[in-house]
Amino acid sequence: MVKSIIYTLIAIALCLGIFFGTDYYIKSQLTEFHTALETLYDKIEDENATREDAYAVREMWAEKKSRLHIIIPHNDISYVDYWLSEACGLIYEKQYPLALGKIEVLLEITKNLPDAYSVKLENIF
Amino acid sequence: MALIFIRTAIIFFTLLLIMRLMGKSQIGEMQPFELVITLLIAELACIPMADSSVPLLYGIISIVAIFILHQIVWLLDLWFKPMKTVVCGKPSLVITKDGVDSYQLRKNNLDVADLIESMRGAGYFNLDDVYYGLYESNGKFSALAKEEPTPTLPVLLVDNGKADEKNAKIAGVTVQSVKDFAEKQGVKLKNVLVMTVDGNGRVYFQPKGKPYKILNMQVSGQW
Repeated sequence: MVKSIIYTLIAIALCLGIFFGTDYYIKSQLTEFHTALETLYDKIEDENATREDAYAVREMWAEKKSRLHIIIPHNDISYVDYWLSEACGLIYEKQYPLALGKIEVLLEITKNLPDAYSVKLENIF
Repeated sequence: MALIFIRTAIIFFTLLLIMRLMGKSQIGEMQPFELVITLLIAELACIPMADSSVPLLYGIISIVAIFILHQIVWLLDLWFKPMKTVVCGKPSLVITKDGVDSYQLRKNNLDVADLIESMRGAGYFNLDDVYYGLYESNGKFSALAKEEPTPTLPVLLVDNGKADEKNAKIAGVTVQSVKDFAEKQGVKLKNVLVMTVDGNGRVYFQPKGKPYKILNMQVSGQW
């Protein structure tokens, strides 16, 4: 019985660790990416965003998503992939007004994504 | 991840409540919470395994959540006795010295036919072969058997006020003769809880809310 209680306590501790750890990780990773997107947005607005800037943001996302895949459903990640690819394509072609719209969507997604995994009544039910 | 845990816990307790409300007819030799766990584990393991868009960690967290909930329920069972009744239910005495207890049967969503089936499964073929019969909290039927069981196979003629035409045919009687038999005992057919008859014409007759009687009737069926 003592063994069972110990196993239960270990499982609870493990779960709590995972809950707080993943919550913090998702928030920090997406905030970092959000900041990078904001910088890119400013550059697009000033019409001086380059292919390298878009490539850097893409690289940053590629690095983050490989780890985020473990804790976020892959569909949510593919939304970001989709909009980021569109935005980058438009930046390569220097179509800044159109690229701004795509980045706007990305900013919204990255802002709302951590909330989708937090413990809130609307997420529970 | 905490979200997955909370959602799993909600589903777990909802299923447990539903299983408890369904009574013993839906259980079948498992405690209600064991059945809930069996139902959930299979699904929880399957979804992340089959759907590659769901992280495997979601399945693992849900299964660990089930393990924690199981341990909590088990510990509550052990330390806090009233909790055992809430979670697992309690045995229901369905056959007493007066016969079948229809209230207990209804409470567990069972009818006389279910009771007779359970009795046959436990090796008793006549309702009066046992002094006491009860459904354990896991849905299993237990009985205190009489020393001399009746070596016949009865058929159910009336179940909760309704005559069974097919069984009446087997016994070689008509629904009308069953009705007349009941009325001869001063009971209308709709007020008969249970009436069985075996090949020797031995009748187990119990009106609703009254003790059972052993009577005789003419049968011509062969079984």
